[in-house]
Amino acid sequence: MKSDQAAQPRIEVRDLVVKYGDTTAVQGVSFAIAPGELVTLLGPSGCGKTTTLRAIAGLETPSGGTIRLNNQTVYSSAERRNIPSEKRGVSMVFQSYAIWPHMTVFENVAYGLRVRKLPQAEIASNVNRVLDMVQMTQYADRPSSNLSGGQQQRVAVARAIAFSPNVVLFDEPLSNLDAKLRAEMRVELRELQRRLDITSLYVTHDQEEALAISDRVIVMNAGRIEQLGPPEAIYNQPVSHFVADFVGSANMIKGKVAGTGANGGLLFAAEGGVTLKIAVPATGKTAGETVALRSSYIHFGQSSGAHNAVNGTIHRRMFHGDFIQYVVDWPAGQLIVRRPPTELFDEGAPVTLSFAPEHCVLL
Amino acid sequence: MLKFSAQSWIMTILLVVCGALVLYPLVYLVIESFNIGDAQTFPPEEYGLGNYLELFEDSRVITNTLLVASIATVLAVLFGFIQAWILTRTAIPGREKLERLMELPYYMTPLIGALAWGVLLGPKTGLLNQLWRSTGLDFDFFNIYSPWGIAWVMALFEGTVAFVMISASMKSMDPSLEESSRVLGAGKMRTTLKITLPLVAPGVLSATIFVFSEMLGSFAAAFVLGIPGRYYVVTTAIWQSTLSFPPDYGRAAAMGLSLFGAMLITLGLSRLIIRKGSYTTITGKAFRPRPMDVGWLKYLLMAIAWGYIFVAVLLPLGALTLTSFQQFATVIVSQMQFTLANYETALAMGSLAPAFANSMILGVVVATFGVPILGIMAWIIFRSRMPGRGVMEYVAMVPAAVPRLVFGLGLLWAWINIPIPIYGTLWLLGIAYFTVFMPLGLRTIAGVVLQIDKSLEECARVCGASWSHQMRTVTLPLLKPGLVAAWLLIFIASVRELGVSVFLMGPHSKVIAPSIVNSWLSSSSELSAAMALMQTVMVFIAVAIMFRVARSVSGAKQ
Repeated sequence: MKSDQAAQPRIEVRDLVVKYGDTTAVQGVSFAIAPGELVTLLGPSGCGKTTTLRAIAGLETPSGGTIRLNNQTVYSSAERRNIPSEKRGVSMVFQSYAIWPHMTVFENVAYGLRVRKLPQAEIASNVNRVLDMVQMTQYADRPSSNLSGGQQQRVAVARAIAFSPNVVLFDEPLSNLDAKLRAEMRVELRELQRRLDITSLYVTHDQEEALAISDRVIVMNAGRIEQLGPPEAIYNQPVSHFVADFVGSANMIKGKVAGTGANGGLLFAAEGGVTLKIAVPATGKTAGETVALRSSYIHFGQSSGAHNAVNGTIHRRMFHGDFIQYVVDWPAGQLIVRRPPTELFDEGAPVTLSFAPEHCVLL
Repeated sequence: MLKFSAQSWIMTILLVVCGALVLYPLVYLVIESFNIGDAQTFPPEEYGLGNYLELFEDSRVITNTLLVASIATVLAVLFGFIQAWILTRTAIPGREKLERLMELPYYMTPLIGALAWGVLLGPKTGLLNQLWRSTGLDFDFFNIYSPWGIAWVMALFEGTVAFVMISASMKSMDPSLEESSRVLGAGKMRTTLKITLPLVAPGVLSATIFVFSEMLGSFAAAFVLGIPGRYYVVTTAIWQSTLSFPPDYGRAAAMGLSLFGAMLITLGLSRLIIRKGSYTTITGKAFRPRPMDVGWLKYLLMAIAWGYIFVAVLLPLGALTLTSFQQFATVIVSQMQFTLANYETALAMGSLAPAFANSMILGVVVATFGVPILGIMAWIIFRSRMPGRGVMEYVAMVPAAVPRLVFGLGLLWAWINIPIPIYGTLWLLGIAYFTVFMPLGLRTIAGVVLQIDKSLEECARVCGASWSHQMRTVTLPLLKPGLVAAWLLIFIASVRELGVSVFLMGPHSKVIAPSIVNSWLSSSSELSAAMALMQTVMVFIAVAIMFRVARSVSGAKQ
C-alpha cells in the first residue's frame, strides 16, 4: 500500500449496483483505489468482477451507486449522471486483446493519440516509446492480424498506456496465454505498472495471479465483496469460508469453540475428540464451527510446545514436482498437507502433524 | 439512455421508414382481401369474406398447386439427399470442387431454368423432342408444359437448397457416434439403419417442409411453363386475376394472403422440427466425417454427382446458347443456320435495350443506397442495446416471409392508391426492391457483424473515440467484406427480380426478367434465349466478383 494515504483516491466506487434484466450482477460494491496502486478483483466466473470493471469503464450502465474517477463523478444514479466511456479518460486492456486486425501494430497503438488529435511527431515518439517498453518496436509496421497471442497482449498493453492515462483497467489480460507465458507476462506487467506508477484495477479468476501481482486484493462472490486487503492478509486471515476455500488450499475442520486457552487464545474442540489451540482471528470472532488451516502451514514432526501436535497416518502421496501433496488420516478425518519435495514419507507411515495456533483461522 | 442521442434519432427514422415500407402494402392487401364491392375502389364500399370463400369454389387451383409442389418437393429432396450423401460421406475424387459447383444451380434461377427446359423439351420443337422424333417416332419424348415439367424445373433449382440443408445436418454429426456403433460390433448396414438415418432424419424432414413451403410460393416456372397450357397454380392464378377485366384485386389479395398463411404454417412447422428433433448431435460444430471407401462404386457415384450439375446447369445453358445463335432452333446439324440476329434484336428492340439499362441502373442504385442503410440497421439490431431493436428486426424480416409475388401485389395496390405519382416509374421499382431485399442484405451483413468481437468496438470507445468515430475507424472497415457481399447479392437479386417487377413495371420502366417472359410468351424462343443468356452472364460476372472478394478476404486472414 502507498504511504501517502492522504492523497485523494483515483478510483472510488460506492454502493454500485448493476442489473441485467431480472438478475443483479453487482449488488452494492464499494472500494477506493489510491494513486499508483494496483488492486485486483478476484472471484469465480459470474461473481460480478468483470461487470464492476466494465461499469467503471462506462461499458455497462449501472442501476445504482456512484463512480468517481480522478475526483470527478462519472456515474451517479442520484444525480442521473452517466458520462460516456470515451470521456472518462480511463484506458483498458481487454481479455480478447481487441487488437484491430485491419490496422498495423503502429496504428493500433496510435489510435488513442490520434483521437486526441496530437501532432504527428508527438504521436510517433509516444508510440515508439511504449512499443519499446513492451519490446515490440521491430513489429511496428506489421499488420496486426498475424501476431502471436503473447505479441497481441503486448500490443494491447502498449495501446492502453500510450496516451498516458492515469487509470488503466485490466480485464483478465493474461487468461488466454499458456501457463509459462502467463507467469512471464505477470512479472512484466507488474514491472511496467510500478515503473509508470499507473493506477490499475485488475480483474482475474486466477488466485495465484491476484496474490502475486497486487497491492491489495478484493475477493468477490455473488455480486458482493467478501474480503478486501493485502494479499498476505487474504491468504493468512480469510474472513469467510468462501475466501479460505477460493484462495489457496485450505483444510476446513469442523467443531466448536470449547473455551479460552493460553496467551489469550481459544480452544477448539474438533470432531473426533481433538482439541486445538487457536488464536483469536483478526475479525475478533470468538465463536464459530469451522477452522480453516492452510495445507502449507502443516509440518511433519514435533516442534515447539506452543504448536498443536496431533498424530496421524499418511494415506496417500501425490508428487507434484514443486511440492508433494499428502492426504493424512487423523482423528478428525483427513487433512491435506503440502510439503516441499525434500520431505518424502511413505504411504502408511505414522507422522506427527504440527501447526501454529495463529494458522488456525476461526471462521 | 439519459438523453436523446444521434443514435436514437437514426434508429427512430429508420424504424418509421422501414416500418412504413413493409407494413403499408400489407395493410392494403389485408383490407382489399375483404373487399366484396367494386374491386377498383379504395377504401372498399362493402366488406365480407366472399373473396376467401370463392377460393374453395374452384378447387382446381389448389389441387394443381399441391400436386406440383408435392412432386417437386419429393424430387428436390431426393436430389439433395443423394448429392449430400455422396459429397459428405463417400470418398469420390474431386469432392471439394463438386461441393463448390453445387452453388451454381441456385444462381441459375427458376426463370432461366424454365426457359431452357422449354427450349429442350417443348412439344415438337424442343431440342430433345426433335432428336427423339428424328428416330422416326411421331410422339414427344416428354412435354415440359405439364405439371411434371413445372415440378422438374423447380426441383432442379430447389435441389441445391435441400442439398445445403441436408449436408449441413450430415456434417454436424459427430463421426464418433457411428464409430462407437462399429466398435461395439454392428456392421456397416446396421450402423446406417440404426444410427446414421435416425440422426439425419430431423434434418431431412425439416428440409422437406422448407422446400415444400418455397414451392408453394414459387412463380417463375409455373408462369413460363404453365400459362401456355392454361395450367394454373396459386401464384399464376393471382397474377391472372389482376389481368382479367376488370382486374379482381380482392380475389388476388385473398389468394395471396391464404398462400402467405399456408407458407407461414409450414415454415413454423419446419422450425419446430429443427428445434425438437435435433438431438445433441447438432452442436454447431462442423465435423468432417471420415468418408466411406466405396471401391469401384465411386465412379458411378461421381457420375451421379456430376450428372446433377450437368442437368441443372450445363445442359440448360448449352441449350440456351445453341438456340440463341440460330434463326430456328434445331439440333439437326444439316438444318442449322447460325446468326447473331437475336442478340442484335435484343439490344436494338425499342423496349428491350432500355430494360437492360433499367435493370442495371436499379441494381446499382438499390445496392449502393441500400447497403449503408442496411449496414446501420444490422449494427443497431445485432450490436446495440437500443430499445426497439427487436421490433426493427421483426419488421425488416417480414418481407422474407411473404411470397415475392404477394408482396408485389400489395405494393401495386398500395401505390396505386397513394397520391404520390410514382406508380409506373423506376422510383417505385427501386423502393420495392429495397423493401423486398431488406432481409437478404440484413442477413448477409449480420453474419459479419456477429463475427466482429464486441471488444474491438468497446476498446475504441475506451480509447476516447465517439460513436461516429468508432463506426468510421473500426466498425465499417471491419464490416467491409460483408458490405461488399451484400452489395453484390442485392445487385444480383435486382437484376433477376421477377415477382414484384411483373406488377410494378410500367411501359416506361421495363426491367429484364418480365421482359424476357413477355418475349417468351409473345415472340420467338430464340430471341428469349439470347436475352436470358445475357442476364445470366451479368449475374455470373457478379457472382465471380463475389467469390474473388470472399477468397481474398479469407486469404488475408490466414
